[in-house]
Amino acid sequence: MAIVRAEGVTKQYGDVTALDELTLSVEEGDTFGLLGTNGAGKTTLFKLLVGHIRPDAGRLEVDGMDVSTAGVRIRESVGYLPERGGFPGSLTGREVVRFHARMRGIRKTDRRDRIDDVLETVGLADASDRRVAGYSNGMNRRLGLATALLARPRILLLDEPTAGLDPRGVSSFHRIVRTLNEETDLTLVLSSHVLAEVEKLCDSVAIVHDGRLRATGTLSELNQRYGGGLLVTVRLDRPEETDAAVATAGEHGGRVDSATRGVVTVACRFDEAFTVLAALREEVDLVGFEVQEPGLERVFEEVIDDATATEGPA
Amino acid sequence: MSADSAESGGGHPTNVEAGVDTKTESGRWTVIEQTAVLARHEFRLSVRNAWAFALTGLFALFAVLLSLFSGARVGPSGFDAIVVSLASLATYLLPLAGLVFGYDTIVGADEDGHLDSLFALPVARSTVVFGKYVGRAFTLGAATVIGFGAAGVVLLLYVGLLDWPIFTGFVVMSVGLALTFLAVGVLISTLAEEKTHALGLVLLVWVSYVLVYDLIALGMIATFDLPPAVLSLLVLANPADVFRVFVLSGVDTTGGGFAAVYAGTGLSVPLLVVTLVLWNVVPVLLAARAVRRRSV
Repeated sequence: MAIVRAEGVTKQYGDVTALDELTLSVEEGDTFGLLGTNGAGKTTLFKLLVGHIRPDAGRLEVDGMDVSTAGVRIRESVGYLPERGGFPGSLTGREVVRFHARMRGIRKTDRRDRIDDVLETVGLADASDRRVAGYSNGMNRRLGLATALLARPRILLLDEPTAGLDPRGVSSFHRIVRTLNEETDLTLVLSSHVLAEVEKLCDSVAIVHDGRLRATGTLSELNQRYGGGLLVTVRLDRPEETDAAVATAGEHGGRVDSATRGVVTVACRFDEAFTVLAALREEVDLVGFEVQEPGLERVFEEVIDDATATEGPA
Repeated sequence: MSADSAESGGGHPTNVEAGVDTKTESGRWTVIEQTAVLARHEFRLSVRNAWAFALTGLFALFAVLLSLFSGARVGPSGFDAIVVSLASLATYLLPLAGLVFGYDTIVGADEDGHLDSLFALPVARSTVVFGKYVGRAFTLGAATVIGFGAAGVVLLLYVGLLDWPIFTGFVVMSVGLALTFLAVGVLISTLAEEKTHALGLVLLVWVSYVLVYDLIALGMIATFDLPPAVLSLLVLANPADVFRVFVLSGVDTTGGGFAAVYAGTGLSVPLLVVTLVLWNVVPVLLAARAVRRRSV
């Protein structure tokens, strides 16, 4: 069941079309990645999802609520971690979370347990009585996540959650997101332009470019549709057979992705992979092979190239 | 469509699920409660950041020194003159304090990212403005009462004179004056895109209202034969002058000069009070409206 549903959503700022007839849906319980270059429309979509702005056209529903009429109610059931969120440095982490709990109207009887829970979840329980001014960027982001989790939301929106974090901060944040994904039925919508992050955390992905949805689906579906299916890499016993291997792969439907002396990588459809591999084994001496999905980077490049070829550069 | 319409939203259904208690169908109580929570939060921040102590100390220092020196000069018969002197001090000091305390309320929070975190909550943007204003108003009001109250204590103990009704009226209107310029500062903070712009604008407002306005008004009075109604409007259009005329209306001495011209307008105390209240309310309402259009 779709917990987020956008149908023909358009948003303009003056002459600039930030979102152009965007249609997509996010299934309940999914971890959904929103990928796009800077200015693609990701943040505009997030602002629409939390009710900060309204669409100029189309319909956008979040957890059964129409964002055009729900107003601030949207943010009662949606946890939102904005990209630039910050907190007063003079307060402790616990004070920040307590303030957010009060603002959310969480009853006093539940408040302490709830605050302890979210601080524990984001790994800040031990640092909760330290002033925020002494927190690292990663701790600040986790504190933001704690405030977003306070209301036990059904949907959690994370806008560029790891932007500006060091590798340790990124890894720690990813671990929390994975735990949330595994241990709760929370729907996570994550925007990022870090392909590896989306690939690592998300079940489904939407690629947005110039305000339009260019591709959506599970990672597997996108790989099949845009990534050229599979990547078959063979290692040759005799490097001088590289040209022969390239020719053989081509004859059997493979598209050569790279060919250096002795190592040839061929992109092919799932149903062609065996044929290509068998033909190569017949023609040249192999010392090893590897079959892998091409990955989101390739999908993303393909999708953006398609968009640019169709419409010209933005 | 702008953020304001999206923010206003529809009704606020009762929802006690997961401990979220929205109190009433209309959500009215929630708005009041959120404003109170925000105000308390803002007050706590101003105490933590030492703003509250700095303002109180500043007001107390100037007011006590002025009272001691004026008291020694005029003697026990000159209580009115001391109040006029304190009013002059307040006219310069309180607008500046209010503006400087208010200029970063919204734009500062925006630059620090606090505003994004606040707007991520189920709270209307206008509530954020109200809450922040009320919290800061409490800090500034308390600092004014304590600071100028200290002058009252000094007058009572060391100079041996205090006319309670006049002094209380002076302190209450001082709070009104400070909060008025705080409200203007909050409005500027809401409209400004950068903190430096807001700071420049509040200083411009202070120079215009406190230093330049009276000179221009005096020039107009001297050059043209202005009817009393226009003179009254000139007073009401500047909260610093509203305050000054209020204080002068309660004492026998005017301090002479331009203040005497204004004191002759004959504006009633209720009108002056209502005007100062409007000067408080209108900028905050405008800020609450403007913040809905702010891009965050």
